[in-house]
Amino acid sequence: MTAQEVRLCGLLLREHFGEVVEKVGSHLLRGGAQNLRTIIHETGLPLDLVKKSLCVLVQHGACVFSSGRKGPGSPTEYRTSCDWILRILRYPRYIYTAKTLYGDTGELIIEELLQRGHLTMSSTVKTVADRLTQNMEEGRCMDYSEVSSAFSKLVETHFLQRCPTMVGAGTSASATPSTPATPGTPATPVSTAVPTPESFPDCYKVPHVTLLGRGKRQLSSEDGEDQRNAKKAKLDSQTHGDEGICWQVNFERFHLHFRDQAIVSAVANKLDQTSSEIVRTMLRMSEVTTSPTASCTKPLSANEIFRSIPTSYNILRPILDQYLTLLVDDPMEFVGKTGESGGGMFVVNLHRALANLARATLESVVQERFGSRSARIFRLLLRKRHLEQKQVEDFAMIPAKEAKDMLYTLLSQDLVQLQEIPKTPDFAPSRTFYLYTVNQLPTARMLLQNCYKTVANLIERRLFETKESKRLLEKSQRIEAILASLQASGAEPEQLTEVEEMITAPEKQQLDALRVHINKLDSAENQVDETIFLIESYVTSTASPS
Amino acid sequence: MSDVPLKKETNTLDVAEVESRIKALCQQFPHGITDQVIQNDMPHLEPQQRAMAINKLLSLGQLDLLRNSSGLLYRMKDMQSASKMKGSDNQEKLVYQVIEDAGNKGIWSRDIRFKSNLPLTEVNKILKNLESKKLIKAVKSVAASKKKVYMLYNLQPDRSVTGGAWYSDQDFESEFVEVLNQQCFKFLQSKAEAARDSQQSPMVQRNSSFGTSHEVWKYICELGISKVDLSMDDIETILNTLIYDGKVEMTIIAAKEGTLGSVDGQMKLYRGVNPVLQPTGLVRTPCGLCPVFEDCHEGGEISPSHCVYLSEWLDF
Repeated sequence: MTAQEVRLCGLLLREHFGEVVEKVGSHLLRGGAQNLRTIIHETGLPLDLVKKSLCVLVQHGACVFSSGRKGPGSPTEYRTSCDWILRILRYPRYIYTAKTLYGDTGELIIEELLQRGHLTMSSTVKTVADRLTQNMEEGRCMDYSEVSSAFSKLVETHFLQRCPTMVGAGTSASATPSTPATPGTPATPVSTAVPTPESFPDCYKVPHVTLLGRGKRQLSSEDGEDQRNAKKAKLDSQTHGDEGICWQVNFERFHLHFRDQAIVSAVANKLDQTSSEIVRTMLRMSEVTTSPTASCTKPLSANEIFRSIPTSYNILRPILDQYLTLLVDDPMEFVGKTGESGGGMFVVNLHRALANLARATLESVVQERFGSRSARIFRLLLRKRHLEQKQVEDFAMIPAKEAKDMLYTLLSQDLVQLQEIPKTPDFAPSRTFYLYTVNQLPTARMLLQNCYKTVANLIERRLFETKESKRLLEKSQRIEAILASLQASGAEPEQLTEVEEMITAPEKQQLDALRVHINKLDSAENQVDETIFLIESYVTSTASPS
Repeated sequence: MSDVPLKKETNTLDVAEVESRIKALCQQFPHGITDQVIQNDMPHLEPQQRAMAINKLLSLGQLDLLRNSSGLLYRMKDMQSASKMKGSDNQEKLVYQVIEDAGNKGIWSRDIRFKSNLPLTEVNKILKNLESKKLIKAVKSVAASKKKVYMLYNLQPDRSVTGGAWYSDQDFESEFVEVLNQQCFKFLQSKAEAARDSQQSPMVQRNSSFGTSHEVWKYICELGISKVDLSMDDIETILNTLIYDGKVEMTIIAAKEGTLGSVDGQMKLYRGVNPVLQPTGLVRTPCGLCPVFEDCHEGGEISPSHCVYLSEWLDF
């Protein structure tokens, strides 16, 4: 909960949900768990606005509520955490992953769920089918069953999960459809722990849903709005047998997938394509059997791996054995051998791989920022742990003056630390050893905070650029609207060109430049988010007791 | 009465004889002889006479006095070096002795003072004298550039003083090191590529992409880019810097004693590797490389909204 994290979360909340939600969210971030009255009192917002903001936050999984500290009778407290809000930054990556794995259907399902937070299966399927039908050619439409099957596949691979039902005694929080009280609320004391989705046995069970039909194409007529509304109301009144079972995106699963992707691409970079395919197979086999915090996957025998490799790679058994031996011998230690049964038992060392990737990230930051010689010194210190100044110069083969300069720069940026070992108890400088060292974990944490600050800077710059050109953007929007209406009503080409010329050429240039800027800033945010993900995974992996 | 002059004669005769005897003994035992040896040889010699003879030889500069753990040793002095010192006085001889003892590491003027117990001015005068006679020379140490160590004129300075192959005239030759660095890397990289292109089984590929330190040394020697002779240790230090650059990895294998390039029954193998990660996302933005990152706040002098670096980067 550092200042940078809070700032970034505030920006994200404001962009996605508006100022009111941002106010409530930031307040919760800074103040910890609070009850409704405190929030109202301290933010100064009216009751219904606060209630609605809390609804929004809970809906999107950014806030949880539990009964108060003083026991079951006290007012419920609301709590939020930076991690949950920072996930918003990663939404584009989730959607893209779903697209690569399950095609357009999967992409739209995930997009809908990310937008709405919690949604029942039937509504998701209907909305997605409608959207897909919109984009198809005339006369074709998307069948509900296709979308349902994509949905089930997502649930099978644990990318989607059911929302946890809250066993609450009269929770004053809203009647969101996602958290109905189970029938016959027990009178037993409520546990203060928030139930996780995983604690329910039906977490990944697809309900039996009767969904027959196909997507409806929206008509773009004048009073299409009213018609659509009427249609919607009619559709909603149909029941499909899955009321009250809402689904949400399983972010942890996506994170595991990203981590696997990172490991596979690192192996591909370091060794070759075939080795990376072998590692990918191993990771795929242990997707659902390994817990998220495990330090290595469950042991897999070489026979199993051989059977599971896709036949398109045409790898023979002795060749596979050789590749596995090479992977085990590699100094990066991605894969380890734990036994000899079944032709050799192999595991993927997840924590070690993450540590190596984090180390490579740190090294690349030093290299880009300070040059390759400083990177040499940095890697030297990472390897040899503690070195004196003279030894650094000798090992790195850099002239003494330059080495000194680089070491001091790294020291001032806190990437390198100094350890004093006194010969005498009075720490006299002439009689003390000064050793340079690099501590990987604290440096990684520092870099993580820098990443948060960078993303916040990029978002602010984007908002600033948009604000600067607000007038221009409004004008272009108006002109587009006029053009669209003219085209719909069948105007002549001269009228269209007349309208188009209302935007002057320099203004057009400015608009194009603005578009380029905003795209660049957006893609930069995604790139920094990749770094954030790697370092965050590394830091959490070291925090777990394994 | 007539015995006395005879005895005196025999005494003087004895002294010359004793001296030559001692010199012969010294030549017989070039490592040096102790009092015990002289006594064994001439048992009738009195200690006083022995001492007189030895002192005479010492003052003539024909004998060297050394001390070892068991006692005093007398050694024949080189006639040549004895001639050099003609005209020098004892103090100079002492200083010269001290410098000679330091061997090829050289000795600092302050240490000379301690060992010879002479005052500073004397020592400096003597050093200047000896230098002008071209008997000693001053060599600048590479570790502390102001410090001068003295050693005998014809000795090669030791590696620790001159820095070895990487220093020429007290200057670290960074370009030389860089060139060697690149050459070694190219050699290992081409070896790895050749192995990859050979399309054989992966184990063979990997093993053939390894180069031993001996092979790299031979390649560099044959390239002839180095004016100085490089030893295998030098090449290994260069290869170590490549490891710290993240371009090369090393393994050690056990090798038979006789095979080429093996040291103590092991051989070091090096191979070129690819980086594990592309430059990370953070450094693709200006903020990741910004020198004033710490001072940047919204609403301050330096802020993201008005950042010059961001503007330039966006217009790129």
